[in-house]
Amino acid sequence: MPEKRTREDLALGAPAVEGGGGSPGGSGAGRVLVAVYGTFALAAGARAGVQLGTRFSEAPVAYLLSAFAAVVYIVATVGLVRGGRGGRRTALAAISVELVGVLVVGTLSLTDRAAFPDETVWSAYGRGYYFVPLVLPVLGLLLLRRTGQKSPPPKSPPPKSPPPKSP
Amino acid sequence: MTAFLVGAITAVAVLLAVLGVASTLARRRIGLLHLGVAGVLEVLLLVQAAVAGIAMLGGDTPADTPTFLGYLGGIVLVPVAGGLWARSEQTRWAGTVMAVAAAVVGVMAWRLLQLWEAARA
Repeated sequence: MPEKRTREDLALGAPAVEGGGGSPGGSGAGRVLVAVYGTFALAAGARAGVQLGTRFSEAPVAYLLSAFAAVVYIVATVGLVRGGRGGRRTALAAISVELVGVLVVGTLSLTDRAAFPDETVWSAYGRGYYFVPLVLPVLGLLLLRRTGQKSPPPKSPPPKSPPPKSP
Repeated sequence: MTAFLVGAITAVAVLLAVLGVASTLARRRIGLLHLGVAGVLEVLLLVQAAVAGIAMLGGDTPADTPTFLGYLGGIVLVPVAGGLWARSEQTRWAGTVMAVAAAVVGVMAWRLLQLWEAARA
């Protein structure tokens, strides 16, 4: 079928193709999530860099947490993009840590203000970031579950050896 | 760094976000319209960077200069990255990627203004 682009297609966008790749970050919706994760990896990383570089002594706990959050976002982003079993597991671990982090830090930052004199990404459940840090891990887990159901691991292991069981 | 400029940036960013979401709903990829609006947004951001840069050279620096410069430099890259990404995206989610980039620009612009005004406080 010849690819004929009408003027409308050119201006408003050609009809989309369906589906996507095998990794969680490969599906279209997954790529949107990867975009948001990438943004937060950058935002948290840059924030941690500035905080640690310019005024570490003021609030070491908060700033180290910022750095930790940045690492978690980066790991989650990479896991989602890479896909496969390893990437999926990496993403699952990072996103779980992220969810626990935002809940614990969010609660602590409200109950024990003295420990968090300066904002982190996760303070007050991510209020400084319009609560995206709170929603993001939930969406991430949903995506992992959905893509996991839709496409079971594409690589089937050789039939002779049973799949390695983790202890 | 003026509220007017930030307002204009916000308006264009919102337009771009709406266009992006609309193309996702219409099951289309993005087209020249999106790229054009993203281009307008980029020009506004470059103007903003120039205005802020000139003001800072004139000795009018915000209190938290490193953070301000980080945002100022970073925000310019967002529409470019979002546009390139959305253009290569074949699924209908291309528009949403564009919309995410636009939303990020909108938020960052207001954060920039906040950081800038803090100098005066």
